[in-house]
Amino acid sequence: MTNLTRRTFIKLTGGVAAVGLTSFGVPAIAGEAKQKVVVVGGGYGGAVAAKYIRMADPKVQVTLIEKNADYYSCPLSNWVVAGFRDMALQKWNYEGLKKHGVEVVIDEVTGIDPAAKSVATAGGKKFAYDALVVSPGVDFKDFPGYDAEAQKKILHAWKAGPDTVTLAKQLAAMKDGDTYILVAPADPYRCPPGPYERASLVAHYLKKNKPKSKVLILDAKPKFSKQGLFQEGWTQLYGFGSDNSIIKWVSGAEGGKVVRVDAKEMAVYTDNNGFEEKHTGACINFIPPNTAGKIAISAGLTNEGGWCPVHLNTFESKMHKGIYVVGDASASGGMPKSGYAANSQAKVVAAAIVAQLNGKQPGEPSYVNTCYSMLSPDYGISVAAVWKFDPATPDKVKEISSGVSPSKAPDFVRKQEALYNESWYQSIMADTFS
Amino acid sequence: MQQRKIRMLTVVGGLLAGMMLLGASAAQADITGPMLANTCAGCHGTNGISGGPAMPTIAGMPAKYLKSIMADFASGKRPSTIMGRLAKGYSEAEIALIADEFAKQKWQNAKSAPQSKMATAVDAKLAKEGEKATKSAKCDKCHEDNGVFQDDDTPRVAGQWLDYLRFKVQDLKNPELKVPQADKMKAGIDKLSAEQLEAVAHFYASQK
Repeated sequence: MTNLTRRTFIKLTGGVAAVGLTSFGVPAIAGEAKQKVVVVGGGYGGAVAAKYIRMADPKVQVTLIEKNADYYSCPLSNWVVAGFRDMALQKWNYEGLKKHGVEVVIDEVTGIDPAAKSVATAGGKKFAYDALVVSPGVDFKDFPGYDAEAQKKILHAWKAGPDTVTLAKQLAAMKDGDTYILVAPADPYRCPPGPYERASLVAHYLKKNKPKSKVLILDAKPKFSKQGLFQEGWTQLYGFGSDNSIIKWVSGAEGGKVVRVDAKEMAVYTDNNGFEEKHTGACINFIPPNTAGKIAISAGLTNEGGWCPVHLNTFESKMHKGIYVVGDASASGGMPKSGYAANSQAKVVAAAIVAQLNGKQPGEPSYVNTCYSMLSPDYGISVAAVWKFDPATPDKVKEISSGVSPSKAPDFVRKQEALYNESWYQSIMADTFS
Repeated sequence: MQQRKIRMLTVVGGLLAGMMLLGASAAQADITGPMLANTCAGCHGTNGISGGPAMPTIAGMPAKYLKSIMADFASGKRPSTIMGRLAKGYSEAEIALIADEFAKQKWQNAKSAPQSKMATAVDAKLAKEGEKATKSAKCDKCHEDNGVFQDDDTPRVAGQWLDYLRFKVQDLKNPELKVPQADKMKAGIDKLSAEQLEAVAHFYASQK
């Protein structure tokens, strides 16, 4: 509706007036002006949205604006932390998207003006849009003691990149007998099973290299994703539940909730029934509470919880028309903050935008998540689900089917799922960047 | 001035069209084949051309074959890790849309996956042994033209990803799994050892 009106407005005012509406002030004959989509953020959500818009309608001009020229994938980065994968294999670039006709701009978006329908960048450029996709991923909330100085010693490595490699070095530098503390955040956060996969793979590394060392998981939550399968695997692989267990998990109710960080002491303090309890570790891996990426907050796309409310049939923002938020930053109505969910949401957004730019109704959406976690290099587990949108329950996607890997599966199944995990990665990265 | 009037009419027309669309917005347009099939592409690749060594390419396979596979996944007749859980998420009509969508795509032989460290490389010597094994076990009775042939019951296996084929032949030989294809292929499978079946996977993966 808005787009229709705007296009007719351009027609009405004629080419001269329309000049002011195009980016860079490039003169264009308004009647022939292409529809413009700008995508902010080139990860599992944004890159897919850009590619699939171009695939569905090559007439649409798509500009992807991304801060970093290289992309490092979070999925499989826990393998790097545990020392059995090279970081170079996590690295991707935007050359493939250019082949689909996506204009790629390496710059940081610093402002979004929903009224003027334009975005501004740190490089001083302005880009006008007919539809905007915002896919900034997550950022982190301030946390007592976790200031810039502390963040040099105590890493979260919850965005893949140089910190992933530094964390791997910190783990490798631990002495036999030292403790690795992993602090898992409260819901919701990026990659629900991620902290537990990381704990598993760190335990795998310690079992082989530092058998007297332990992993201590301090958790804000009472339970976690794929918990039954993780604990079954930990029992099998790492003696979970016994006195000699490599992994110890402390839930929020049992005193696992971390309330402050002290980098000088290399300690975290938990709230144990009103009493502060100190935990020290040679390596502390602190994952702070998550929030939507900063640009989503400054653009007024977030709610009080720090996430972006969207219409779950199109992922169009409830705050601003014409802006679509995909992936981890969105309040996605029960879908997890996972790479596959972002991929699936991005395709719904691509279809919705192409429909709307062509004056059509968006079709009924379909969503899928497929997510693997590793407990050792030979031990994979998975969760998968299919969702639909039901207008009767617009605030939650409707689960049509779902399930996790079976309990007590034979070893060859766990091994197959480990290889499926790596293949999943190869395929989804090709779907994203090729 | 005259021109301006005409443009005003265009605006009004546009607005009317917009209002009509708005009126219709209570009912969303129907779900489409691409919408459904694109949800599979994260694992099976864009347009069903897989990028991962253990995920099969499904582009260009006969729709009827794809439909029957999905039905077998959903019922549990065909064992799987995640496909059973996913297949249950779609109606028969939706499965048909998905199958038609992938059937329309063009097959591409598997390429190398340089960023995969777990992938098995095709071994030319094994492939040669595998070729002999396919002859002795009469695999080519159905998998004609060195596995290029496909119909409603037979998938193309030539140029498929090797690790996928390896998993499938391992499954065929695994009595715990009760793979439905194993009935039809029993005579052939019984003739071949696990090693020979591995060689068969290398042979078909090596074909174009």
